[in-house]
Amino acid sequence: MKVGILAGATSNFGELWHISPRQMVREVTDEVLKEARLPKSKIDAVFVGNMLSSSLGNQDHLGAFFAEELGLSVPSTKVEAACASGGLSVHLAALSILSGQYRHVLVIGVEKMTDYKPELVNRALMGAGSDGEREAGATFSALYALIARVHMAKYGTKEIELAQVAVKNHYHASLNSHAQFKKQITLKQVLKSPPVSSPLKILDCSPITDGAAALILSPSDNKSQVSIIASQVATDTLGLSQREDLTSLKASIIAATNAYRQAGITPLDIDVAEVHDCFTIAEIIAMEDLGFFPKGEAAKNIFAKKTWIGIGHPVVNTSGGLKAAGHPVGATGVKQIVEIFHQLNGTSGNKQVENARLGLTHNVGGSGATCVIHILKKN
Amino acid sequence: MLSPVKIWRNQKKIKSLLFLKGKIVSYTQIYVPPAGFEAQAPYIVAIAEFNKGLRIIAQLVDYLDVNLKIGQKVITVLRRTKDPGLEGIIPYGIKFKPLD
Repeated sequence: MKVGILAGATSNFGELWHISPRQMVREVTDEVLKEARLPKSKIDAVFVGNMLSSSLGNQDHLGAFFAEELGLSVPSTKVEAACASGGLSVHLAALSILSGQYRHVLVIGVEKMTDYKPELVNRALMGAGSDGEREAGATFSALYALIARVHMAKYGTKEIELAQVAVKNHYHASLNSHAQFKKQITLKQVLKSPPVSSPLKILDCSPITDGAAALILSPSDNKSQVSIIASQVATDTLGLSQREDLTSLKASIIAATNAYRQAGITPLDIDVAEVHDCFTIAEIIAMEDLGFFPKGEAAKNIFAKKTWIGIGHPVVNTSGGLKAAGHPVGATGVKQIVEIFHQLNGTSGNKQVENARLGLTHNVGGSGATCVIHILKKN
Repeated sequence: MLSPVKIWRNQKKIKSLLFLKGKIVSYTQIYVPPAGFEAQAPYIVAIAEFNKGLRIIAQLVDYLDVNLKIGQKVITVLRRTKDPGLEGIIPYGIKFKPLD
């Protein structure tokens, strides 16, 4: 497949009490239209990645909601797949381009989370889990803690190795002016931070974030410098307890295998990747599921800085990832594509990876019930 | 949102899941709970495996610290789950209790 990316932008990520979802979306949309030198009237369709507008904001009908805000009358669709809503909206937007029906498609990812107290956000996020998980009082940090405990028992993964993922991603975020946390942290700070759901501590967890991201997709015969050459989605059981193996996400393995085949490449060809590090353990497992390191060996390699900017290959989460750039859930999957688009375009500034030609994004919904993989190539 | 109808429908399933004996596969102690569980935190949530590979996620209750390990034997029991809230319906469900 080949779908062109004409422009990409993200808002600042963080606790943005003074900015409404409407304003965030208007800002990123204005930015991509300007970058693509496209009048608004050329937009043929809009896809909106969002998870919580209904359960937190009491706002459904989000497609029309943002079309109204942008002054458009074109088809506009909300796409929901928990934290993979953004990635899935890019997938569907790319397919809509390939259908031949649309020439310019606007993809928006947006989430407003910090207006609400943590207990309410935790409960709303658990909408992505199973009935049994909700009845047990589980949270998303608890689900990934259950995964971490088994990974640690089976592969000897250590808490200090989990901590290193956070240290790396905070370092990368210190180079990203849009990131929620631009402050570097130390292993000791992570290890001494308060427990959220043992063995995960607060600095193992991605934060609650407001933010938006936007892309403009078009057929690759246009002037695009970067193309999407693979877009794959896979699903698995909603609940963790129904899975045989807790140390990898089956949906990630399936989607990644299909994406590498579609792009005609291997994991070793990837120069830069944005992966779904909602928790530190999630990045370790992603490195293994995506084939960057053999099973059980990712933690050691991340600890040895094999995925750090300026040191490793592939460089992982140059934006700071979900951990430090922030995780506005519906926006995350779109932001990941924006980050790789800028890397391949050579417009990443301080965090530019030298000679990046092939990039990958890995966006997970729930505890792995949906996984969306995209592979992007510099033309 | 609690629904009396949903509780009534789901409680029919509970009987078949009571008094099963199994082992803990993984566990975590939750310090930051979701709404409806504030009064219980911190609490343990575990996945346990039972006959024929059946796996259930639930809270572990009546435990000592020595019971917090992978492989700990447990039995399923009936307990109140979350805060009844303003609706006043008391939701019951499965929890695990350590054996031996």
